[in-house]
Amino acid sequence: MPDETALRDPGRGLGWRVRALVAGRVVLATFGGYGVAALSTAFLALVLPMARSEAVATATLLSFAIMVGAVVWVFSARTLARAAFGLAVPGALLAGGLWLAMTLVDTVPPA
Amino acid sequence: MTPSSVLLNLALSFAGLSALCLAMDRHHRAIFHGAPSRKRARALRWTGWCGIAVSFAAAVITADWNFGPVQWLGSLTGAALMLVGLVSYRPGWVRPAAVLALPLAAVAAFLA
Amino acid sequence: MRQGFRQSMAWLHTWAGLVTGWVMFCVFVTGTATYYRTDISLWMRPELRAAAVEPGLAAERGAAYLKAHAPKAVSWFVSVPQEDRPLIGVYWLDSFEAPIQQATLDAETGQPTTARATHGGDFLYRFHYELQMMPMLGRWIVGASAIILLVALVSGIVTHRRIFSDFFTFRRDRSAQRGWLDAHNVTGVLALPFHLMITYTGIVTIAFTLMPWGIASAYKGDEMRFYVEAGQSPAWRTAAGRPAEALPLAPLVDRARAEVSEPLEMVIVNNPGDAASTVVAVFEEPKGLAHRHPQIAFEAVSGAVVARLGTLKPAAHVFTSFLGLHEAHFAGPALRGLFFLCGLLGSATIATGLVLWSVARAPKPGIAPGFGLRLVRGLNLGTILGLPIGVAAFFLANRLLPVALEARATWEGGAFFAAWGLAALAGFAWPHSRTWREMGSVAGLMFLSVPLVSALTTDRGLDFVWFDLAMVAIAAGLGSGAWKLSRYEGARRTRVARNAQTLARA
Repeated sequence: MPDETALRDPGRGLGWRVRALVAGRVVLATFGGYGVAALSTAFLALVLPMARSEAVATATLLSFAIMVGAVVWVFSARTLARAAFGLAVPGALLAGGLWLAMTLVDTVPPA
Repeated sequence: MTPSSVLLNLALSFAGLSALCLAMDRHHRAIFHGAPSRKRARALRWTGWCGIAVSFAAAVITADWNFGPVQWLGSLTGAALMLVGLVSYRPGWVRPAAVLALPLAAVAAFLA
Repeated sequence: MRQGFRQSMAWLHTWAGLVTGWVMFCVFVTGTATYYRTDISLWMRPELRAAAVEPGLAAERGAAYLKAHAPKAVSWFVSVPQEDRPLIGVYWLDSFEAPIQQATLDAETGQPTTARATHGGDFLYRFHYELQMMPMLGRWIVGASAIILLVALVSGIVTHRRIFSDFFTFRRDRSAQRGWLDAHNVTGVLALPFHLMITYTGIVTIAFTLMPWGIASAYKGDEMRFYVEAGQSPAWRTAAGRPAEALPLAPLVDRARAEVSEPLEMVIVNNPGDAASTVVAVFEEPKGLAHRHPQIAFEAVSGAVVARLGTLKPAAHVFTSFLGLHEAHFAGPALRGLFFLCGLLGSATIATGLVLWSVARAPKPGIAPGFGLRLVRGLNLGTILGLPIGVAAFFLANRLLPVALEARATWEGGAFFAAWGLAALAGFAWPHSRTWREMGSVAGLMFLSVPLVSALTTDRGLDFVWFDLAMVAIAAGLGSGAWKLSRYEGARRTRVARNAQTLARA
């Protein structure tokens, strides 16, 4: 797998294809990692079983660990496609959960 | 969090880390000319971990649970830095310094 | 797979560390200096001496100034004089969108201070998290770099195979690359708890800028309400729209002080002059890790208590403890010294990592270095020695610029950036190891001259002896580093010569 070798031995034979795959991982890690972290923050802030302000604080504190975990995953997955798949699944689940939570949880602030 | 309580922590951490350091082949060789026997290495390792544990206890007693762990970690870093400096530049001073750290800790404990 | 994981983490550590290294080096150095922000500020205003002024009286003096200069503001903030900051600071917001404005008043007279205009230690503090850029842009750059640094830390831990067996190992007598690697490992590992803590808690200090989505989903973006519900801010009372005479501040402040044992830090007046105006007395943090200021809010007109901010719920407590750990306001002199040392180790870890990258890729003798390597070498030199040169120039400018100079504080900042820029240019023009030695010597001499220039231009005697000693220590560190480099260079040259002789004899 060319992108695997690109990660293992970046000094040798950096063809455009390898460069593009590395760039793809960087883009995926940046935006995909942030996206998953942002979705999980928004989702957990609504569903964690504690006072609203507590849920927001907990979710925000956790979000950066989640982002770092996602970045590590993107760069350790064997191929770019695998890495993207591994972010897309939790991302889709979180987005679905967030949509459900937003329709179910009453977020209108009490007057 | 008085200076003497930090000093107590530093001295205990230094003594403990020195023992751990001397339990390693490479550093024992550099300081005593020869690898430690297995028994000696184990004794040093035990002493070292005990020193670090006592340092933690001292931190929690003198600076309570709030700041104690923070102070303990900080003192480990400071003591380890001194130790690495000695090991690389003045290996002969490691043993006397570690021995000297104990009475220093006693004085600091008296003041803290 | 296991081996593969470690290899990809090694790649990630190398490149994440490289791209974030220059920004993070600056953030670490200025952040480490910020542990002594108040000492730096005192040094930079040598005209000021400690003044004991009743906090209530100081609040009234500040409010009087604001009433004359910002009667239409939505909020006034008056920070009362402290032992380490013998001034009244007044700040105001003309609207919620407007930038915060400020003035510094003499504690005794309540008039704008005659002390030299300077940002003091706040300059380095703001650089630490905003890089002296537009606030939001600077915070995003620092925040993104900090997240990349966190990635570099995690991948570095995975990569470093012998954390425990190399714990005490610094082989300075082997090859250059081995020496740099050991220095990087030792400084990184010895203060690893600090590095992880300071990076994560640093990200948390700007968490709601970087990650506003929790507040967006649970509060529809109403950040104010979040702080009110979290018990960190009293509720905002909407202006009534008609003016009313407020009670004098001093008695309100005295009533608040009777309830709280910590010293008063600041008085806030929301909607000043309005019938629904609120006065909030903010106190310093009580002894504890959490960064939490006790507050008591009054109705400004009637004097009735509107809110008392008490204890926090668990997650809010953890959150504020993260902020507290980052700022280390709780630390006494000895523990502060250890934090400072850890900050220096963090800066050293980043600097050695950056140098290691270029040393490991040094071409064989006779082969010209490629563009990437030249770029990295220039940036390394311009950052690692350029920033200290900028800081030294900043301190020197504080003593040498005329006290009455127009826009004086801006000129001090200009000196910082100009000196740094010049040093960086020199780094790109001559990216040799000889330039490291020469620039290190220049930086050392500049720091050494700070106490001398200060002694010649001020009459404070030994009041700042600790600051002076710190300058001498920094100068000694830079000077001995430069000397080491020159000795190393010399040693290599003799070795090369000896090898040539051996070859010639053979």
